[in-house]
Amino acid sequence: MQRAANISLVGWRADTRADARSSARTFALVLAVSACLSAALASWLPLQMSIATVFLFAGPHNWFEARYFLMRLPARFARSRNFFALAFAGVFLLTLAYVSLPALYYTGIWSGAHWPTAIASWNTLMLLWICALVRMRARQKAGRDWSWFAPLAFLLCAVNWLVPELFSLAIVYAHPLVALWFLDRHLRRTKPEWLGAYRRCLFLLPLLMAGMLWQLSRTSSLADDNGLFWRITQHAGAQLLPNISSHMLVSAHVFLEMLHYGVWIVALPLIGASGALWSVQTIPLARRRHGLPKLMAAILIGGLFVVALLWAGFSTNYAATRDIYFAVAIAHVLAEAPFLLRMI
Amino acid sequence: MKRTLILSTAICALLVSAIFAFADIARPKPSPAEPKTVFYTGLTIVPDAQTGRARLQISQTALERLKNASANNGGTPSVVQNVMHSSTRTIMAGLFMFLAVSFAGVWLARSGQRRNHKAIAAVLVAAVVFGLATMIVRANAGPPQYLRWWNLSQSLKDGKATTGPLDVEIVPGDDDLKLIIPVKK
Repeated sequence: MQRAANISLVGWRADTRADARSSARTFALVLAVSACLSAALASWLPLQMSIATVFLFAGPHNWFEARYFLMRLPARFARSRNFFALAFAGVFLLTLAYVSLPALYYTGIWSGAHWPTAIASWNTLMLLWICALVRMRARQKAGRDWSWFAPLAFLLCAVNWLVPELFSLAIVYAHPLVALWFLDRHLRRTKPEWLGAYRRCLFLLPLLMAGMLWQLSRTSSLADDNGLFWRITQHAGAQLLPNISSHMLVSAHVFLEMLHYGVWIVALPLIGASGALWSVQTIPLARRRHGLPKLMAAILIGGLFVVALLWAGFSTNYAATRDIYFAVAIAHVLAEAPFLLRMI
Repeated sequence: MKRTLILSTAICALLVSAIFAFADIARPKPSPAEPKTVFYTGLTIVPDAQTGRARLQISQTALERLKNASANNGGTPSVVQNVMHSSTRTIMAGLFMFLAVSFAGVWLARSGQRRNHKAIAAVLVAAVVFGLATMIVRANAGPPQYLRWWNLSQSLKDGKATTGPLDVEIVPGDDDLKLIIPVKK
């Protein structure tokens, strides 16, 4: 009887392992095909893909991120109160400063000659804010030495003061990759059997990027003869890197953005990182006793209205809405830092 | 201890006075306005026995690029130019570099782990390897570009065309076009 039970248990374990391997392979295949398709489309039609992806996915991906961040907030802040207070204050004040920079420039309060200094100051504040968050997080995580981060942050500050505009451009290119880090941390928690396949797939990213750069480095620059195309090429760094084909820059940026949107809108919800989308009960702040389910529901529904408003804005005046969106969207870039730190 | 302190203070005071003494040096004469390079391209000089006029031919694309570069006031300045012309940014970069090195030293001193020391040793080795590689690559750099112009006189005598690199510079004033060619001394 005992032997029979052992035999069935061994068989069941083997089946489970085979299922896990098969699902991991499917997951890796879907990732690889999606990445290759994104790279091909971004290389082939960079400007068109940039317009289409921002129009379709910019708003929804912010909604999914907001949903995810609400779910990651603890029911009670307790020991993390100071961490979250600094995080929220930083996100609010840095976003306000970032949005006011172009406003101050256009009102003529200060000249364009001071623009690099203003950008460098903002980047420094952001780095110091992240450094403070890392320090606070390190205190909560016993047994981990994160003191190496301070010299790294100061080194980045120094580089930022040498080339502030290129540093800001580096943030534009690095930000989409943060989504891949979130996915890695979630797979580790929820689907550890997929983690190996996922990390192997990540090796495909530099290969695809290298292939794109090699293929597009000799292409002529994109015609940025209208305001919208000019904005897109400037956003990708065409003015800062005049000796590099703007076709290559825009393609690389669009490719990374597509991966970013794919992770937030498809991959993370599929593995259950965002919880049941319409249920506020998956949000700890709503679930706890004396919680705030109505406020959470209002935030999510309000977010949907903002997405609809963004689509309406893109339909009416795409270029102006794109400018406004990318100025305000710095908030979600900043918000990723504390939540990622909570995952590490 | 007290003597050392007094001596140190005296040396510091001497050094500080030396800095102030520099204030008495006369101001340097303002240097004349330097020409600003706005554009890098190639130039071909073609001797032609059939034509009676010297002509300067510019392609439509090159003209557009030249106009854009000129409108951008010489295009994007290099990193070195940027840093050289902004003392605030240089000071801030230096300050943060100093903080980075100081904090890295404190971290290294505090961390007794062999793994950290190995990681730092690996970083240092990588930096040395990159430094050496840079020197080797520089050593293999091709001949300087002005060499292409050295045979210009002979080519003109032979009636042959000569092609070489050219920096387009904007100079103050209203003089005619001037072509400066490096020649063999």
